[in-house]
Amino acid sequence: MLTLTIAFRNIFRQRRRSLLTGLSMCGGYILFVLSTSLLEGSYGNVIDIFTLDHVGHIQIHQDDYLDRPKIYKTIKDQAAVRAVLEAHEDVTGYAPRVYSPALAYAGDKTYPARVIGIDTALEPTVSRIRQKVTEGEFFSASPDADGYYTAMIGRGLAISLELSLGDEIVLISQGADGSIANDIYLVGGVIGNRTSFDRMAVYLPLPAAQQFLALGTDVHEYALLVDDRNDNRDIASVLAAALPDLTVSPWQEVESTFYRTMQSDKQGNHFMMGIVVFIVFIGVLNTVLMSVLERTREFGVLRAIGCRPGRLVQLVLLETLLLASFSIGIGILLVTPAVIWLTEVGFQIPEPIDMSGVMFQHMKGELNAYVYLMPMGFIFATAALISLPPGFRAARILPRDALGSH
Amino acid sequence: MAEHLIETRNLYRKFGSDETEVTALDHVSITIEQGEFTAIIGPSGSGKTTLLHLIGGLDEPDGGDVLLDGANIAEMSGNELSDFRRDHIGFIFQAYNLIPVLSAEENIEYIMLLQGRPAAERKARVRDMLHTVGLDGLGERRPAQLSGGQQQRVAVARAMASNPQIILADEPTANLDSHTGISLLETMRELNQSLNMTFVFSTHDEKIMERATRLIHLTDGHVEKDERK
Ligand SMILES: Nc1ncnc2c1ncn2[C@@H]1O[C@H](COP(=O)(O)OP(=O)(O)OP(=O)(O)O)[C@@H](O)[C@H]1O
Ligand SMILES: [Mg+2]
Repeated sequence: MLTLTIAFRNIFRQRRRSLLTGLSMCGGYILFVLSTSLLEGSYGNVIDIFTLDHVGHIQIHQDDYLDRPKIYKTIKDQAAVRAVLEAHEDVTGYAPRVYSPALAYAGDKTYPARVIGIDTALEPTVSRIRQKVTEGEFFSASPDADGYYTAMIGRGLAISLELSLGDEIVLISQGADGSIANDIYLVGGVIGNRTSFDRMAVYLPLPAAQQFLALGTDVHEYALLVDDRNDNRDIASVLAAALPDLTVSPWQEVESTFYRTMQSDKQGNHFMMGIVVFIVFIGVLNTVLMSVLERTREFGVLRAIGCRPGRLVQLVLLETLLLASFSIGIGILLVTPAVIWLTEVGFQIPEPIDMSGVMFQHMKGELNAYVYLMPMGFIFATAALISLPPGFRAARILPRDALGSH
Repeated sequence: MAEHLIETRNLYRKFGSDETEVTALDHVSITIEQGEFTAIIGPSGSGKTTLLHLIGGLDEPDGGDVLLDGANIAEMSGNELSDFRRDHIGFIFQAYNLIPVLSAEENIEYIMLLQGRPAAERKARVRDMLHTVGLDGLGERRPAQLSGGQQQRVAVARAMASNPQIILADEPTANLDSHTGISLLETMRELNQSLNMTFVFSTHDEKIMERATRLIHLTDGHVEKDERK
């Protein structure tokens, strides 16, 4: 295709100019890839902290428990659920849970609290609860010699009720059968800090919580982790098909507000980056326009011999896109070591960020196709966009003006 | 009534406005027949270039019509006119006719590519054309590696390549020394005779005019004399 040949050779005709234009495209691409990698990396970090703290990658409930939690909406046939989870090779861990609001008493103080019953053996395979114990130790599933179960309480509750290890805490709630539930537990551990999502939680061993709430062996939730969290939605739909009577939700649905906020924050960042790249491209626009004006006579000849105006637009477009392809190619070579370094090593940020009691201070990048392709698409789109004005300028060249002696 | 290959009716073209207004062509009506070898002559500023541009549809008249083979080019859309030029008219300009990044061969081939002709046919015709204009073996050179006369020969070859009915040439020899100019014109004349192809060219050069079969004299935008030899 000769038009491509013309475009290709025109790039090499103005070496210095093409080099400068190419460099700014290349620079724009590298910048965009790095920022996308870091952005993806830090969102990945936040998602990890978030999902590993408690939510998990996928949750399973009865009906609409997620939207309207009621104590009686329980998962009954747990053997079936566990069989499905065990059979799926991408599921790396699962844990059953029960929840209920309660009133917590200690001494003469009362506070509303949230009872969370967890399986002491399975829960640590899904969440970081064990690492979040800041005082005392992770509890055991069985009651002590006097029949008291141990509870682990959130840091906020510990402060509000002035509780310390070994103190008694009284919980009052309503059981699934409508009865008044109340019992005394011993504080065996304190969890997280004052900003943790579970600062007002009372963790009970699963049997204790089920007994307290008269749930028998039923649970409200199964939370699970999968191999690669990016696959969680696909896995969720596979599980949903296998468990038609239950509701399977990826974390994006469980924490839809957080997810939406994150998505719009991401878009905002991309938008900012897009503007930066666009400004870089204004310079490119200027160069392309200049190269068109310099070749007025040539375009005039092309028009005279019968090139349709559209073909000239195409030629200018092709030249810019070709240059963009070269620039992106070189950009990929240059940026890849940096992306690998960001992904493998990363760097420390001066101020640590606290995510529900888990600190993170290490920025890391992410290396995947999206990190390369999204900026590539943007650069191509921008290059195409900015070649339109020069392209139309070329198409509008009148052969008379270009070729006349005046 | 037999149609003429080229007919202009009261062709009128002015440039500028008010005080600066210049009438470049003043109601020019001429007809040119298939196979003629016509020179348009006249002093500088007499309207030669303007007339050739209007005939080739490179410019629009302020009045009057251009009919090519009976078709009024004013009635064609932009793309139709482009396609018409591509298929029916060959252009040769005074200089800088060629696309600098393409070799002589590619310059000739490009117009056939625009016509959508198959590759084998294009290649064969390129070789043919180069031979016809006496440039065997120089096909791979870029315009910058060719002399002015050779470049004009490539331009002639390109104009011929699309197999047009009409070749319009605006002072094709003006940038050449007189020997090279005459030899280029002789090539054009041979093509005119062997293929019965119609040439309309402008010139200042006495030696070149001598070779035309028809002379149209322009002065201040109107036809002063029209002689057939
Ligand atoms: N684009 C233009 N703008 C203004 N005036 C023009 C333009 N083109 C031509 N003219 C005027 O129109 C008249 C005819 O010009 P044209 O170029 O056709 O003459 P010419 O016979 O080709 O002259 P030359 O022998 O110098 O090439 C001249 O007076 C010229 O100044
Ligand atoms: Mg002229």
